[in-house]
Amino acid sequence: MAAKRRKEMPEEARSPPEGRASPFPDEVLEHVLVFVKSHKDRSAVSLVCKEWYTAERWSRTHVFIGNCYSVSPEILVRRFPNIRSVTLKGKPRFSDFNLVPPNWGADIHPWLVAFASAYPFLEELRLKRMTVTDESLDFLAQSFPGFKALSLVSCDGFSTEGLASIASYCRNLTELDIQENGIEDLSGSWLNCFPEGFTSLEVLNFANLGTEVNFDALERLVGSCKSLRVLKLNKNVSLEQLQRLLVRAPNLRELGTGSFSQEYSPRVYAEVENVLDTVEDKGLEAVGSSCHLLEELRVFPADPFDQDINLDEGISGVTEAGFIAVSEGCRNLHYVLYFCRQMTNAAVAAVVRNCPNFTHFRLCIMNPRQPDYVTREPMDDAFGSVVKSCTQLQRLAVSGLLTDKTFEYIGTYAKNLETLSVAFAGRSDRGMQYVMEGCPKLRKLEIRDCPFGNAALLSGLERYESMRSLWMSACNVTMNACQLLAREMPRLNVEVIKEDESDDIQAEKVLRFLESWLPISCQICYIDCGF
Amino acid sequence: MIRQGDSPSSSIDSSGHPCPSSTSSVSRPTKKDLSTDLRLGIISRTISSASSGSRYDSSSSAAIREHRSDWPPIKPLLRSTLTGKGARPLQATFFVKVYMEGIPIGRKVDLFAHQGYDELIRTLRRMFRTTNIICPDVAQVSSNKAHVLTYEDKEGDWMMVGDVPWEMFLTSVKRLKITRADKC
Repeated sequence: MAAKRRKEMPEEARSPPEGRASPFPDEVLEHVLVFVKSHKDRSAVSLVCKEWYTAERWSRTHVFIGNCYSVSPEILVRRFPNIRSVTLKGKPRFSDFNLVPPNWGADIHPWLVAFASAYPFLEELRLKRMTVTDESLDFLAQSFPGFKALSLVSCDGFSTEGLASIASYCRNLTELDIQENGIEDLSGSWLNCFPEGFTSLEVLNFANLGTEVNFDALERLVGSCKSLRVLKLNKNVSLEQLQRLLVRAPNLRELGTGSFSQEYSPRVYAEVENVLDTVEDKGLEAVGSSCHLLEELRVFPADPFDQDINLDEGISGVTEAGFIAVSEGCRNLHYVLYFCRQMTNAAVAAVVRNCPNFTHFRLCIMNPRQPDYVTREPMDDAFGSVVKSCTQLQRLAVSGLLTDKTFEYIGTYAKNLETLSVAFAGRSDRGMQYVMEGCPKLRKLEIRDCPFGNAALLSGLERYESMRSLWMSACNVTMNACQLLAREMPRLNVEVIKEDESDDIQAEKVLRFLESWLPISCQICYIDCGF
Repeated sequence: MIRQGDSPSSSIDSSGHPCPSSTSSVSRPTKKDLSTDLRLGIISRTISSASSGSRYDSSSSAAIREHRSDWPPIKPLLRSTLTGKGARPLQATFFVKVYMEGIPIGRKVDLFAHQGYDELIRTLRRMFRTTNIICPDVAQVSSNKAHVLTYEDKEGDWMMVGDVPWEMFLTSVKRLKITRADKC
């Protein structure tokens, strides 16, 4: 179906040729804008002038909403009439760690209702940290006849029944991507629901589903979908079954079996490595000596709850030695997520000397407030060296014993920083103030268990409108400050989640003002009063 | 804000079925017993969402530091995979009793959740808060404070743990006992 045209626009919205900013007709501009894909570029285009704003809104087919509470479905459909693909993110990231109460929100259903009426030809929906029920999935499956791609990452609220609806009704489905969701596995029979003659699937990912799936149905599906190029299965598929599937999937390019790599297996061409820390420092040395092209490394703790008991055999897992070893061999590293039980300032400094190109640096020293285990000093200098060396740093997660000095370093040097995660750190309001004053590109700030209070919160007043979200929990912020913030910045969505006397947690919306004319990427503050 | 009716938040839970405390939509954990809580100065929040399963690990006791559901920052699905408690509800378990000499109350340990003797020793050291449990194949300086891990086999005999391959051990073990070395 052709996109809605602008003929219905009122006369006064079309400027006379003499007064226009651009020398060519709007329709030409729209055709050019089709090639502008990135949502950041499109936002920039929309701000140039009224003609460009109008051309942009008519030609946009994909919309990205980083925070579902920054804009309402009604505003969205009013501004963009021709959307085919929507990406929506809901809950704050800390909900992954049980810091957000259940039934908090981020329900997809009101969006689906608005889309069913405004975008009947919707093709793609990509959701992250949203609540999606089986009823919603059923509604989705039956409301959009041309629906093609569904991606659900870290969502909750649905079961395999919902997947059965998608399989049954989405005749043109090309992509079904179910990742890391908290869902109920009622049975594996949802795969049977793809109808006879269904051939369009190209991407299938159900690596996180726990139960057995009906293998015959899977085999049949793979056999009929000749364009299948990505297949990610869960652990319940045996090697022999895998072979049977591979034979039937000639166009397969990516295959996954959802299992976690338990042994280090140096793969010379590996670019992304996820390992358990049972590989220990020796394993990381092996990675360092053979995977010179490695770009991303994630080291997870095999035993996250092994507490600080002195064991005769010493610290288990990985240490600073392993970190240094990897950095010496893998100079292309730009992404690291490293869980460890001990670290030193000197080691981190050495790592970033070896690898100055980090864009994502996430270090988690698992014992909160742990100092440099050799010098017993705070870990301030470690992160100081990170932000000084890694000028392209976009994402940083800090840990260990940290004073305000760390944040002074961050505010002074981390000029490209967009995401910052802080836990059990800092000494005073100054810490957070350094960051709010010094990081112009900051978009997401999440803070827990830090001594930052009202002065810190309010120091960011000017900044919040350009950010996506702020999370503060178990800090020293009071209700008064939240109310003041909400009053001073009426375009913010300020939410307070507070415990009452009976330990029940209620989401209490303190003040909520949603301007009707918001730029499409606005921000929200979630502020959890620590009292 | 429109809220859907409470659908049961899914539970990827270590025991494979929803814990009693998490089935109700207004469930909250009981207030923590602060006196036994070793918190290292952490201000802990007693938020337990149904989707995380029980906030307290089923084998934890007051003597063992609580397993926080919100630290370290690892997603629940990954967390349950890493701690060896799979998300699959049908995973088999093999619990045996473990007694330490001198302590009248025993513990239970799931042998199927361990890949070998090393892991078992580590778990037992944590459970009984001692580093001094030894197996014959682990080199140890013997001291009269060392504890020796033994097991009762199908024939009723008490044997040292570690002599036979792990898989063979699993087929013959009935229960475990941690004795003092000088009494062996």
